[in-house]
Amino acid sequence: MPLTHDPGIMKPIQPAISSAKEKAPRAARAPTLLYAAAALLSILGLADAIYLTIQHVTGQSVRCTIISGCSEVLSSSYATIGSIPLALVGAAAYFCVFSLATLAAFGYRSAGQLMILAVAPMFAVTLWLIYLQAFVIGHFCQFCLFSAAITTLLTVISFIAWRR
Amino acid sequence: MKRLPFIIILVVLAAAVGGAWYLKRSATPSVPAQALASASPRANAPTSSDPGAEPPHTLGPANAPAKLEEFGDFECPPCGLLHPTLQTMEREFGDRLRITFREFPLVPTHQHALAAATAAEAAGLQGKFWEMHDMLYENQKQWHEAFDVRPIFEDYAKRIGLDIERYKQDLTSQIVEQRITQDGLRAHSLGVKGTPTVFLNGREIPFESLLPADKLREVIKTELNAPHP
Repeated sequence: MPLTHDPGIMKPIQPAISSAKEKAPRAARAPTLLYAAAALLSILGLADAIYLTIQHVTGQSVRCTIISGCSEVLSSSYATIGSIPLALVGAAAYFCVFSLATLAAFGYRSAGQLMILAVAPMFAVTLWLIYLQAFVIGHFCQFCLFSAAITTLLTVISFIAWRR
Repeated sequence: MKRLPFIIILVVLAAAVGGAWYLKRSATPSVPAQALASASPRANAPTSSDPGAEPPHTLGPANAPAKLEEFGDFECPPCGLLHPTLQTMEREFGDRLRITFREFPLVPTHQHALAAATAAEAAGLQGKFWEMHDMLYENQKQWHEAFDVRPIFEDYAKRIGLDIERYKQDLTSQIVEQRITQDGLRAHSLGVKGTPTVFLNGREIPFESLLPADKLREVIKTELNAPHP
């Protein structure tokens, strides 16, 4: 059996090591960028939730407007937990995720793990709220859908960052 | 560098609280209860805007010291909630309060809102606007989900004693259409974006001061007790 030439075997070890060294900072930077993106997304979610909270507190969300859907959704019994607007809980959750993402971006490893724990229930609640809008209330509110999109992205990002 | 993430978090927290405060201020168009009466009239006060349909649908004397103007949509649930409160106010304040109703059907948000406004205006041509107005609000849940509201409204017309043939003709009349359009123009000139929107002596009452009845009663009392030039 003739010996075949395998260029891989012939490769010097040293260059391979130096290449790994070059790649290392890029790989380390990736979660940082992901956490930074998560922090920015959380700010958008926070702004959305604050807007909805104020709409609720001032009673604007209960009024009927030309934009269909929001008043039906936000005046439903699902928009509050007791006397607390659900949007306020959402604002607190987004701020919590923002804080954790910021800390994780600055190298606090445990913050990234905690972020997963914070985002997972948010995502579960998001799925439940979409179900309510689609099958129980029968109307969609664009601000709620925006929040759902943000939470979904945060879930994906935090999962990818955690895997790395 | 170690402190930087905490500084960022604090800055965002401060911005969030500040933003919430700003939004709350701008979402509340006028000051509630106590300060409402002493506040200066808004630039877009009803006196300087589109007059709306003439004559308007009113309850109470023209010289009443408190003039309340509602922009309503018969299919809007919060308007339906406000309806008994306004009836209570009308009874309690008597000649000191004048209530005006303006049509503001939210199309296409509410599929039957325009038909309801048309029915009320057609009834108005026979002098029974308020009877139809009450009938529509009191039975809102019944017709809100209906596929075809025409037979339901016709039944209401019969129950309040309208001439049915004339009512049917008036539903498609130009006068009815114009009245709804004119009220809509007035709403837009006042910056009305939703229903119910209520003005008291030219100043918008914040929505949170409309319900329950105790809040609105307080707003009207304050307005009546305020010194007027």
